[in-house]
Amino acid sequence: MSKMRGATAVVGIGQTPYYKRGTSPEPELKLALRAITAAAEDAGIDVRDIDGFVSYASERSDASKVMPALGTRECRFTSLVWFHGGALPATLNLASMAIMAGQADCVAVYRSMAEGSSQRLRVMVAQDDTSAQYLVNGLDSPAQILALRSQRLMEYHGVPRSALKATTQASYYHARNNPHAYGRNLDVSDEVYDNARIISEPYRLLDCSRENDGAACILVVSAERAKDLRQKPAYILSAPMGTMEGGGALEENWRPYYATAGQRELADRLWRESGYGPKDVDVAQIYMNMNAMGIGSMIDHGFFTAEEAETFCTFENLIAPSGTLPINTSGGDLGEGFIHGMGLIPEAVRQIRGTSPNQVPEAKLSLVTGGPGDLMSSTALLGSEETL
Amino acid sequence: MGYSFEQYKMTGAIGADDEYWRGLEDGVFKLPLCSSCKSWTWPAHHRCGKCGSWEFDWQEIEPLGKVFTYTRTHYAFDRVLERKDDVPYVTVVAELPEADGARVMGVLDGSEAGLAIGATVRGRILPPSPKTKHYPSIVWELVD
Repeated sequence: MSKMRGATAVVGIGQTPYYKRGTSPEPELKLALRAITAAAEDAGIDVRDIDGFVSYASERSDASKVMPALGTRECRFTSLVWFHGGALPATLNLASMAIMAGQADCVAVYRSMAEGSSQRLRVMVAQDDTSAQYLVNGLDSPAQILALRSQRLMEYHGVPRSALKATTQASYYHARNNPHAYGRNLDVSDEVYDNARIISEPYRLLDCSRENDGAACILVVSAERAKDLRQKPAYILSAPMGTMEGGGALEENWRPYYATAGQRELADRLWRESGYGPKDVDVAQIYMNMNAMGIGSMIDHGFFTAEEAETFCTFENLIAPSGTLPINTSGGDLGEGFIHGMGLIPEAVRQIRGTSPNQVPEAKLSLVTGGPGDLMSSTALLGSEETL
Repeated sequence: MGYSFEQYKMTGAIGADDEYWRGLEDGVFKLPLCSSCKSWTWPAHHRCGKCGSWEFDWQEIEPLGKVFTYTRTHYAFDRVLERKDDVPYVTVVAELPEADGARVMGVLDGSEAGLAIGATVRGRILPPSPKTKHYPSIVWELVD
């Protein structure tokens, strides 16, 4: 157990519409403002009272840019979590620490992206920090680099194609019930999946996340304050970040394990700090830059082994309300849309509140994992009041 | 005359591998061995995380290894458009037993017959070209 367990809670969520990449009618900064004000409204908090601002990766709508338009009374804490999509749940860690240390009372965690204001997402997220070892050898995109891991997960560790397909179909199935989901009208039949064009083996197009314009925000306050607010709080039980010795920026030289998500030791800490285990989790938002990497996350979290992936990762098993582990119940990064993963936290919160478009009945423990295969990553477990 | 790659230098990531590229441009495949504890340090870095030494000996080794993993790219991505006419092409991560299993990337050259994890590959050094962003490169060929 850690001091952080249950000390803070998510009390507000806000999301803009998700647009096709490059088509947002509003610039990136305005989308960030929309998401932050929506989250404040959802929480019943005066947006001017938000005094902490946290984001991650290549976010450019930093606190200095948003605060004049929010009417921020005082910005007391602002910070960016290093690395890429792996940092997503780590933002909860940072926000919680700021609150616990008395450095902020209400922290907005957000991410905004609009290609028209920057550049192609898959280029932007690389932060112009890709080793020549990749670029000289024809490797640029996260899709290609993660493909190296997933090829080994499938060919060497035996995770079958059917498992990838099931995660995609479950995601799009959930998207259908989510009016907010960009991919809600796409019916991914076996035929549609099998005929999707190949991007970088083993990935087909529908194994890969989308790239959208949009923004999402959540608000974190102390557990004490959360009790008096409008929404049912989603308590932060644990949100570990980092990696172990043998991980980090190692250009495909990760040891001692490689083909999954690089979250094994993070998950160990998550279970240790929260006092729960994989069998206790009711619903999971699994970051799927690529679906096979998300399968790696589930393996690292102990939901199943590579050998068990075939029997665990079936469509029926991954969908709400009745699957053993319903995943990506808003549609996730594949079906709802992709703002560098930021849509996953609001959905994890909705499950605790009971307001998901694909609600898991009486969900109490809600997992959200960070970008798998990132140089470092993070993961977080949210819980209802009963789980404290 | 300077090295080609130095005139087209890409910055990013750790960036401690200049000696690797110099070696390739000189026609030699070499990797860094810690001068103090004799650990292979790959990717190259500025300090040995095992013993704290700042010195490395770049050792020539035989570019012979096994396919650790690979991907066949079917799409010309933004920052590697030089290879758009080569699509689909295979990039291999080769594991080199002589360097304690260091994994070195390179495009697959020659026949794809027998391409699989664990297959034996031998490296061949190519001079700088626009396709490799004016860096020298190693390409891996499957060995029967």
